[in-house]
Order: sequence, then C-alpha cells, then structure tokens
Amino acid sequence: MSHSLNEIAAHAKRAARGTGLSWGMAEEAARATRWLASQDLAGPALLSDVLAKNDGLPHAQVAPVSLNGEWRAPEGDLCPLAVGTTLSDCADQLEPGRPVKMANVSYPLLVLPFAAWAAIHLKQPVRVTYQNVQIDTDGDGIWIDDPHREINTSKAKALTCQIATKRTDGAKLPGLRGTVTPEIWARLDAFAQRTFAPATDASRLLGAGAGVSDND
Amino acid sequence: MQFQKETSQTIAKRDPALVMRLSRLGSFHQSRLSFMRILTRRMTRENWQFSRPVFEFDAKGVGHAVYCVHTPERIYSLIAFGHDLPPEDRSDRVIAEAWDSTFTLFDGVPDAADIARLRRNIPLQEAGRVSEKELSVSRANRSVRLWAHVVSRLAAGTQPDRSEVDKVGYLMRTTAVYGSGKLGAADREMIADRAECNAPFQIEMLSVFLTRTYVRDLVQHMANLKGGATAATLDADIARSLGIGNSTGLGMAPFLINHPMLFNNWVAAREQAIAIVRNLPAANEAEAQKFCGLLERSIVSADIWYSAHPIQIEKLKQLRHDLCALAHHVAQADLLNAHPWDRLFTWAEVTLAEDAQECLASLMLEPYGALVDHLADQMSDQNAEAFRIDGSMRVAELRSIMENAYGWALDTDWSQPQKCARAWYVSAEKLEPRLGERFEEPIAPYEQPLAPGRDAAALYDALKAADKDAPLAAFLLTHPQHRHSVRRAQIVARAPYAEIRDNTIGSDLMPIDMLRCKLSFFGATHFDPRSDRWVRICMFGNAPYPEELASVQGDDWSYPPAQRGGA
Repeated sequence: MSHSLNEIAAHAKRAARGTGLSWGMAEEAARATRWLASQDLAGPALLSDVLAKNDGLPHAQVAPVSLNGEWRAPEGDLCPLAVGTTLSDCADQLEPGRPVKMANVSYPLLVLPFAAWAAIHLKQPVRVTYQNVQIDTDGDGIWIDDPHREINTSKAKALTCQIATKRTDGAKLPGLRGTVTPEIWARLDAFAQRTFAPATDASRLLGAGAGVSDND
Repeated sequence: MQFQKETSQTIAKRDPALVMRLSRLGSFHQSRLSFMRILTRRMTRENWQFSRPVFEFDAKGVGHAVYCVHTPERIYSLIAFGHDLPPEDRSDRVIAEAWDSTFTLFDGVPDAADIARLRRNIPLQEAGRVSEKELSVSRANRSVRLWAHVVSRLAAGTQPDRSEVDKVGYLMRTTAVYGSGKLGAADREMIADRAECNAPFQIEMLSVFLTRTYVRDLVQHMANLKGGATAATLDADIARSLGIGNSTGLGMAPFLINHPMLFNNWVAAREQAIAIVRNLPAANEAEAQKFCGLLERSIVSADIWYSAHPIQIEKLKQLRHDLCALAHHVAQADLLNAHPWDRLFTWAEVTLAEDAQECLASLMLEPYGALVDHLADQMSDQNAEAFRIDGSMRVAELRSIMENAYGWALDTDWSQPQKCARAWYVSAEKLEPRLGERFEEPIAPYEQPLAPGRDAAALYDALKAADKDAPLAAFLLTHPQHRHSVRRAQIVARAPYAEIRDNTIGSDLMPIDMLRCKLSFFGATHFDPRSDRWVRICMFGNAPYPEELASVQGDDWSYPPAQRGGA
C-alpha cells in the first residue's frame, strides 16, 4: 500500500520503541526507515526483521564494545541501528583512507541511511560495502552496485564504510511516497501496540480532560 | 539597518529564560506573524480567485460542495461533505466517529472519480484512507444552539441576535485538521517548495478559511429551504464577525515539544520582530495612530471574549484591567520620540501582567509590516541536519550548554512527587494523547518523552560521572537512554527558543498554556478553556470572506471593529 513518508516514520518510531529501544534510538530508527522507503528500498521490512531479532535486548549486547579498531559486538551480531547511530555520531572520523570496519552486522542495509547523514555532514559521498553489495550515497541520492541481489541480506560478516570519490553519473533520487505491504505494516504494528496504554473509562474522561458536554 | 546606526542602544531579543515559561507562552496573542494572517496577506497580494463549482445539499444539510481557490500557479479545492448527525453522536473528542461535516483539501480540481473515492473515505476520517492528492483531512461540528438560532431567525425573515452570535462566535467548530501525511495524505515535503506553502500550516489555514465560507453558505441555504421566499439574507457584518471555532485537546500540546527547531523558529521570529520595533528611535503620527486604534479594538476584543472557565475568567478580568491601564498610559505617553516602543514595553513589563504584556508586544508590531512581515519566511524548519547528533562534541561542552539552557531543570528536585506527578501517554483509542497521574495510574511504562527538563537533569547527572574530555559518541554508546536529551541540548544550543523552560509533568501543569501558545501562532482569538487540557478558540473571526479580500484595507481583521454594526 502507498503510504506517506511521515506515516512510515511514525509507525517505525513506535515499533522501535515497542521493542525497548530508547526514544533517541527510536527517533533515528524511524528516520532511517523513512529514508530507505523514500528510495524504494526495504526499510520497513528490514526494520521489522531487526526488531524481531533484537526484541528486548540491551543496547550493550548489540552495540560495538569499542570504537577502536574493527567494531564488534561483545558476542553475536551488531545491530545496524546501534552501529548506524554510532557511525553518524562519529562521522568526523571518516577520512580518506580511514574506513570504519564492522564485523557481523545484521540487516546491513539499515546502516546506509546513517552513512547518508554522515555524507551530508562531511559534504562528501560515503560508500557502504558488504558482501557483493556496494552503495555510494551523497546523502540524498544513491548509486547501487548489487549484482547478486544481496542487498537485503540478514547478515554481513564484514561491512566497510568509507569516504567515496565524487560521482558524475546520475544518482537514484528519493521519492515522496513509500510502499509497505499490509503484512509488514502489521508486523510493525504488533510492536507499536506495546507503546499504547489500554484505554479505561477513567482515562477517557480524565486523561483527555473532557467532562463538559460538547453538544452545545 | 538604519535605526541601529542611529542609536547606541541596541535592544536584544528577550531572554529565552523569560519567554519560554509556560505561563507566558500561555499568554501569547496572535500577531502579524500568525499563520492565518500570513495566508490572508498573500491571498490579497496575489489576488487569489475563488469559485464554488458544486453546492448540493438537502434540507437536512446532507450533500457535498466543492470550493476552488485559484492561486497564481495552481488550484486547490476544498471538498465538503454534509451529514445528518443525531445529537447523541455529536462529540468534539478525537475518539468521536461521526461529525456534522467532513472535509479534505484537494491538490487541484477533483474529478467525479475523486469525489466518489473521497465520499467513501472522508466521512470516516481516521477510519478512512486518502492519497497524495489530498493535503488535509478535517471535520467540524455545529454549535447546536447558534446554528438553530441563526437558521430559525433567517428563515423567519429576521437577523440573529447579536449577543447570541458574540457569545459563541462561530457556527461550526473544527475538531481536528490533519495535514502532513496523516491518513496517507501528501507529506509536507511534497508541497514545501511551493511559495504559498512555505510558511507553517498554510494548507491547514486555507482549509479552515474555505470551511468558514462553506458554513456561511450552508446556514443560508438551510434557512432559505426552511423559510422560502420570506427568508432573510444573513447581515454581512454579522457574517464577518463569525469565525470557525476549533476545539482542541491534548493532541496539540506534544507538538511543541516534538518539533523543537520549528517551535524555536516561530518564537524567534516573533521575538526578532519585537526587538526590531523596540529598537526604533522614533515613530511618526500615522504609526502611533495605527497602534492606538488597534489598542482600542483590542479592548473591544477582550470585552467580547467570553469564557466560563474560572482561570480564564480571572485572566480576562486582569487583561481587561491592564488594557485599560495601558490605554490610559498611552494617552499621556510620548509615542513619537526617544525609543517610544521600548519605553512603552519597559513600562508594561513592570506594570502589567503577562497577558497584557504579550498583547502589547503583538500590538507594537502592527504599524511595522514593512519591517517585520518578512520574518514569516523564517518560521518553517528547513534545517534537517539539526537532527544529527554531533558525537565529536566533548562531555564538558555539553555540560556547559546544559547549565545555560536547563538551569531551571538542574535546580529542580525531581525526586519530589509533585515535580513529576504527571505522565504523558498515548491511549490505544485512535492514538489519543493523554495526561495521567504517574503515582495513581499504571501509565509510567507507556510514558512519552515529553518531559525534557526532567530528562535533561538525568542526562546532566550522568555527564557528571563521565570523563569531561570524552567525545559524546563514546558516552552515548554506553548511555543510549540519554540520546534524545543529547539531541535536544545540541538543538537548543543553536536554537535558544527550542525548549519550553518549565516543568511539563508537574502537578501544577496547565496543558492549556501549551495549546494557547500554539494556537496563538495560528492566529486564534478568544481562548475558552473547557478544562485544564481542552480549549475552544475562534479562527478567522472578522476576516474577509473570499469575495471581500480585494476590497479590505490593511491587514488588521483579527481585531474586531471599534464601532460594531448591528444590534
């Protein structure tokens, strides 16, 4: 179904929060999902996958142990949202010839939006590489080289993020709508529902401050 | 600017620590920079044309209408559906499921297939679905008493009772105007680069402006059907005094907290305008007269501002008293020389309560459209990069930012129950935002991040334990729970009016302060709280109707006429 990008972001934010992400993380998960959806990439689907995989896990378990050297989780896989936010925070560390390398990243395409924001900040294109996938972005547009359709892989053993050379060929530019299947929407909704307080008669009346007749 | 060269005195924008307190934000008044006035100025300047290609309703008001507005570059259409709503179904609450009228603002001119599609969806509001061709979705309920009064009077060949009209101020009130991608409509980003959509909420304001015309036309139509040949035409002065009501609950309050950069830009534009005027070394006779005339009309406006709410009754009493004191002072003051506006404002700051101070601040801008109206161009949020956290910032720098911007919060003892008595949450019913009692209801697990002060204090405590030279990226790796607060602090460092500098979860919180602040930027008047978290207002009261736009002089319609016609 065709959705507005704001709808996708709002839904993604609630879903992310519903699985225990902090509000700040959920805000960025939502922006990342929206960004991918605007590029007609599988942001909402991959978000629902990574939320299901890491549902309720503490950040420390899926985030890099250290920012020195290759980024690794204490054990298991890195969460793309945890490394993505960190990559965006550390954008200034990306210098020509100094890539950021990560090991065992789940749903690696979700790192791309954060690389895009780093590119906007650095005013230089950034390249994300995993398996046979290579994607450049200047923040707005993308150039995808994915001969083996591994872009939506559930796990990359190695992911590299680095400054790329400026491209003169045309980038794929974002659109203004996103498509989400009802099934993916429902998967996200199941997480989002956890953030809503069940309504009671008291909350209906007091919580919204009603009580005076509207019918006048 | 010239005036700054002429004087050594340069008055800066007011301190955010003064402006961004809830009681002051809850005392804001409409101004030249309000979104309704930005819209009507553009309509007049660009000579927008209006047409009504469809208007088909039965005696019960069931049917539909299409109102088209022709701007220089494109056409927008309001599609209005009229319904026959049983009284027991009429509720202004978001959780309502039926309304007297439902609307959508369409991008272009709808064809028959569009109308058919929208007829299946718009009457359902949140339960329906729209497309990127639709820019807003809204609904309105009649003021039952005034509607019946006006229809029966006109049908009988007479005019409505002016005091009844003044008491309510509108024939219908909107209970939600959804824009920006809600229910599948076009995102703001889709239209943001259009000149007429550049200022905030212009689509929503246009929708309400056209809704007001529809309501006037519908009440006349129903009176005509009822009264036949003897029905009277609604007096033009009475019609003009009528606005569109708006009934607003808590849904609006989180907006100001959830859009810190946007909120900053609204307040900063108004503060910049106030500073520009305060810096003027002198005024001329025409400027002083304009101010005095509108002050007189503000007194009329306060006089016909009706509220049954105890807090608002007290506020109104004070406002009326203060405006009279202001008028008395102005009659003797030199408004022409020696920084007249700054002197007047400084006098008001020590003499009048906040409500009248803010009314004066807005009034002082009125003679100076040429100096301040351009600030409307700065009120949108186009700084998408402000969202990104600068992880290279050192812990010590963030602490210093926080000491400056959140001093009030760092001085608050958040362990006291009354300081955090409330919690904002979202109910499962139509996702309605609500405010509950943290220590009496099981709502804390669902709390929304709408307590920036408390969260900032928690962040500051955590920063105290961190290495002051460490980059925030490292701090956030181990403190993800503070991520939203770090973002806010970095925003407020650049945008000083981004943050409400007050407690938004205290036991004494009055959410209507947040509602009034936002609605004043819309251009609303006559705030009438229904409770501490629910307010009714009037929009476009006294505004020209489409066919009057070209003939109206000036841009001061939001002040009622000093001499009122009719009786």
